Amino acid sequence: MANFDLTRINCQFLDRHLTFPLLEFLCGKEIYNQQELLEYILETVNKTNMIDYTMDTRKRLNLSQEMPEELVQRKAEVLATLKQLQNEVAPIMKATDILKNGESMKDSKTFVNALQKDYNFKVEHLESAYKLAKYLYECGNYQESTSYLYFCLIVMSPNDKNYLNVLWGKLAAEILTLNWNTALEDLTRLRDYIDSANFSTIQALQQRTWLIHWSVLVFFNHPKGRDLIIEMFLYKPLYLNAIQTMCPHIMRYLATAVVINRTRRNALKDLIKVIQQESYTYRDPITEFLECLYVNFDFEGARLKLHECQTVILNDFFIVACLNEFVEDARLMIFETFCRIHQCITISMLADKLNMKPNEAECWIVNLIRNARLNAKIDSKLGHVVMGTQPLSPYQQLVEKIDSLSMRSEHLAGLIERKSKQKQNQESADSWKYY
Amino acid sequence: MSRFFANGSDSESESSEDEIQATNFNKASAFQFSDDEEEVKRVVRSTKEKRYENLTSIIKTIRNHKKIKDIPNTLSSFEDLTRAYQKALPVISKEENGITPRFYIRCLAELEDFINEVWEDREGRKNLSKNNSKSLGTLRQKVRKYIKDFEDDLSRFREAPDQESEAEDEVVAQESDGGDAGDDSDAGVKPTEAAPKAVKSAPAKAAPADDDDSDDSIDWDSDSESETESSDDENQYQNMRERFLKRTTEKEEKDDDKRKDKRKEQKVKIRKRAEDDEDGEWETVVKGHVVEKPKMFEKDAEIDVPLVLAKLLEIMSARGKKRTDRRLQIDLLFELRDISDQHNLGTAVSVKIHFNIISAIYDYNQKISEPMKLEHWALLLEVMQSMLKLLLANTDIIMSESVAEEHEEYVTAPFYVRGCPLAAVERLDDEFVKLLKECDPHSNDYVSRLKDEVNVVKTIELVLQYFERSGTNNERCRIYLRKIEHLYYKFDPEVLKKKRNEVPATTSTSVDVMDKLCKFIYAKDDTDRIRTRAILAHIYHHAMHDNWFQARDLVLMSHLQDNIDAADPATRILYNRMMANLGLCAFRQENVKDAHHCLVDLMVTGKPKELLAQGLLPQRQHERSAEQEKIEKQRQMPFHMHINLELLECVYLVSAMLLEIPYIAAHEFDARRRMISKTFYQQLRSSERQSLVGPPESMREHVVAAAKAMRCGNWQACANFIVNKKMNTKVWDLFYESDRVREMLTKFIKEESLRTYLFTYSNVYTSISIPSLAQMYELPVPKVHSIISKMIINEELMASLDDPSETVVMHRSEPSRLQALAMQFVDKVTNLVDVNEKVFDMKQGNFFQRGNMGNRGDRGYNRNQNNQGGNWLGQRRDRNNRNRNQRGHHKNNQDRQQQQQQQVQTIDEE
Repeated sequence: MANFDLTRINCQFLDRHLTFPLLEFLCGKEIYNQQELLEYILETVNKTNMIDYTMDTRKRLNLSQEMPEELVQRKAEVLATLKQLQNEVAPIMKATDILKNGESMKDSKTFVNALQKDYNFKVEHLESAYKLAKYLYECGNYQESTSYLYFCLIVMSPNDKNYLNVLWGKLAAEILTLNWNTALEDLTRLRDYIDSANFSTIQALQQRTWLIHWSVLVFFNHPKGRDLIIEMFLYKPLYLNAIQTMCPHIMRYLATAVVINRTRRNALKDLIKVIQQESYTYRDPITEFLECLYVNFDFEGARLKLHECQTVILNDFFIVACLNEFVEDARLMIFETFCRIHQCITISMLADKLNMKPNEAECWIVNLIRNARLNAKIDSKLGHVVMGTQPLSPYQQLVEKIDSLSMRSEHLAGLIERKSKQKQNQESADSWKYY
Repeated sequence: MSRFFANGSDSESESSEDEIQATNFNKASAFQFSDDEEEVKRVVRSTKEKRYENLTSIIKTIRNHKKIKDIPNTLSSFEDLTRAYQKALPVISKEENGITPRFYIRCLAELEDFINEVWEDREGRKNLSKNNSKSLGTLRQKVRKYIKDFEDDLSRFREAPDQESEAEDEVVAQESDGGDAGDDSDAGVKPTEAAPKAVKSAPAKAAPADDDDSDDSIDWDSDSESETESSDDENQYQNMRERFLKRTTEKEEKDDDKRKDKRKEQKVKIRKRAEDDEDGEWETVVKGHVVEKPKMFEKDAEIDVPLVLAKLLEIMSARGKKRTDRRLQIDLLFELRDISDQHNLGTAVSVKIHFNIISAIYDYNQKISEPMKLEHWALLLEVMQSMLKLLLANTDIIMSESVAEEHEEYVTAPFYVRGCPLAAVERLDDEFVKLLKECDPHSNDYVSRLKDEVNVVKTIELVLQYFERSGTNNERCRIYLRKIEHLYYKFDPEVLKKKRNEVPATTSTSVDVMDKLCKFIYAKDDTDRIRTRAILAHIYHHAMHDNWFQARDLVLMSHLQDNIDAADPATRILYNRMMANLGLCAFRQENVKDAHHCLVDLMVTGKPKELLAQGLLPQRQHERSAEQEKIEKQRQMPFHMHINLELLECVYLVSAMLLEIPYIAAHEFDARRRMISKTFYQQLRSSERQSLVGPPESMREHVVAAAKAMRCGNWQACANFIVNKKMNTKVWDLFYESDRVREMLTKFIKEESLRTYLFTYSNVYTSISIPSLAQMYELPVPKVHSIISKMIINEELMASLDDPSETVVMHRSEPSRLQALAMQFVDKVTNLVDVNEKVFDMKQGNFFQRGNMGNRGDRGYNRNQNNQGGNWLGQRRDRNNRNRNQRGHHKNNQDRQQQQQQQVQTIDEE
């Protein structure tokens, strides 16, 4: 299944720390060589300050038991730096703790004022707080990092050169601590900032590409994310363009989101347009499934693709949680399309198309009918499902069309009459003038 | 100087000839002119000479007018003279240290004398015509006023007309004009040089004599003028004296009694002979001095870099002048090049001379609209290549436009040469295209011309190499664009092979080259035009090699459609060409709809030929002036770059057919139906108007016949009409992979025929079996299934599938004829209400006349459309032989509708 794996591409657009969950996930999947993966992880970890993680990875790689001297030294160094940075920030943090409970916490301006007035707050303090937050993040201490970053966000003006970095850092830290609610807030804040700041086109494109990748993590974990992902990726032209030009592979996640979102069926049409447009740069079983089903109406093909989809989803860190939902909804989609076209279907064929056993399928259909989602009857003797669709009669069509006509005409006539009357009045008034 | 004094007696003796000269003056001057023409060939003239010549010629006319007392003309000539003098003033101040030339002063003096004389002669003045006397007054006033500026000069002149120092001055000045070469040559040359100048001052001495005399002297003066020119030559041709001697010997038999060794006398002789109409002998003289090989330098002169450069400058300074012999200039430059090569003066000098040869060759052709001569072009190519080879071989030569003339460096290592190989090569390319356009494209001539293209490309490649080594981004972009323009329309089969993995992936194809060049331009170009053209060429190239998606994305991302109207005509032509090719590509890549979309703009005008610049339409009612026609001719594409118009039209019509026929079938009763392709409709209707339709002959007839077959769902006939032997040779074989295209076409015809069939005949079926449909249309069952499913989903076909029996069950909801018409009527009424509301809004809102008019036009358009639809429907109705009653009903509907529309109109007009 390595040919549909996107980790390699996705990691290019993610922060070093964000890639660890993905890589660890892959370790459990046995798609790639375990050894190689671990070596790769080690290499990446080495670039951070997470010494413990490095040691752990080394252990897993069965390298020599005792840690190299260098590592131990680095650990000491890291701890020392941390200590020093903390000392620098300590007074101001204390002050913040005190102020937190007071009134001044309400908005950032009064807060900053209070800090400056009572606690001798300076810009350097902010700088060091930022540094500390970054250092903590690099050490893997995301929780503490967020609190410092939060402080930075409140105090910093949006024009500060580090403001963007702080926003990114906050988002990353929140994602890594699995605080999806705050992550979503940060995400929106960051998006607004990127959209409003005046980057050059290329910079903006890059920022958006990154944001798109990071947001996938949030969207698939937040309950509201499934609507938001469609909203952002499909209906914000800026982001859709970014996807089309920079990262068409995101189509997979967008497609998945649309499939598992029953309330947003109308997004399907737009999605399929995009998929068709981009079909030459990116295709995978999920987009192909939609293409089979909605472009070619090739149900057999859709069935095969659905089968492939399952393995793909199972191996994708981002969407692995949606597997069952996806399969269920995909089935429903096939079935719905089927029903719209057919007036009579054999259950066995249907079961075949849905990757189900005939009995299961029948049960499934019965449930659908019972939940009033399907206007159909089962002919159990022949093993058929007969649809109960009523064709639209021409009379009905006609009536629908002319419904509003007379009203509109009357309205218009009324308007004209009023106007002409007005005119006449005016004219008569005018004519009196001459007498 | 002794010779100078000797002149005094000469002038006396010549006065005997005055009579002849005076009477035959016109003739003489005519000859003199021809004389000049001949002389010109070897003459390098400075601005000074030009100005002086101008002055003297005006002076001459003044003199003539004076002689016949034509005062109005004298006045106008005088005005000319002052103007010409004004022009010459910068030169005079530069060359003569601001001293007014003597002959000019003399003229003024004479003029003053003349006026005074006439003025004094009261008797004569009374006899003057009214016109004359009036101008006399004006002239007198003007001259008086003008002369004030020259008071000093004049008085000096009158005092001492033959002042030595001034004459000297003049000699020196003219010498300096002769060029530095003169300085370098031996001092011994000087006396010979000085001689003609001395001649010039001779008349000045004679000037204060009476009128006739001075007239003569003026003549001499002009002679000496041409003499000064030849004195320039003398620097080059040391054997000037011999030349004249030779002439003398030829003419000696006639009048050798008086004159021996003075050139001016010989000149007079020549003139006299000319007057005697001895042309034949004159010819031989001309030949005589052409045959003589002009020498560049003195035999013993030491040829070094500054000398050669000075020579070069001298030759080139004659550039662009009227009387310069351009061919001779080229020859001279070649000779100079040889000399410099012989003496090993370094490559920089050689490059400089090469460059000057190139510009001299370009100068040879004066009309920019006409192509240069072939041999010149070949020469040019050769010179250009050798220059570029020099440039490329010697990395220490920097040739650029940005090098100022005073910073040129030819002696020491980083050589700086002023010049622009880019402009030269661009011009070379343009000339090549002009040459191509000159040939008949169907002759062998054209083919042999076209072979030179390789050389042009090679030259461009050389320049490109040069600029890649040293050149600004802008220059690189320009030369890249040149290369692109030679590359983009050429098909490279390697590309397709590479796509099919038939050749290793590392092979470099033209697409790769294009990519590289274009990407550089996209990144570095700062002029919009180069980028636009590069994009267009890039798309064209992609389209040509079936890279449909890349081409499409480039079009979409560049947003060219939005602002192409603002571009220059050449770019718009390229845009049209690109669109045409993109359409063809889309067609080959099975995107019929896109193909139609790309081509519709080109075809709907009915003149794709003009839009693609592949030929002019015949003139209709003087649409364009000769001027316009000339410009348009210049824009034409050379034949080898043409896009086959028949192919284009066929592709367009076929894609229109594939779209339009099912659409017609589906929307038979739809009032708001729009035409997809107007052109296609026209074809269809014109064929339907014919009472007798024979078997198709032309491509269009084939397509129309195919369309008719498709309308009945007869795919076999349709496919036969589109793909057959005739059409293959005419159209389809022009595609690179024609078999694939034909297969694709057949497939599309099957599918669309099936759709048409279902639309047209669904009302006679209750159910249709899918397998039998598949059999009918020779399509696989799943494909039929998919097509029908799509139609059902899109609500085009009111039916559903019955899975167990594999049939399509019709819902029988197709409206009956009456119902359909009712629906149509409803549509129209809705339309009407919409229009009414719009009209009212416009009245209501602040749309003044403009809005009103627009609205009127809009409505007219609507009505037209309706009518057309009606006609079309009428035809169909006749064909179907439907119920007459219904037809009547329909008519009523239409009438009623028209009534209503008239009402609207009245409302509108109120």
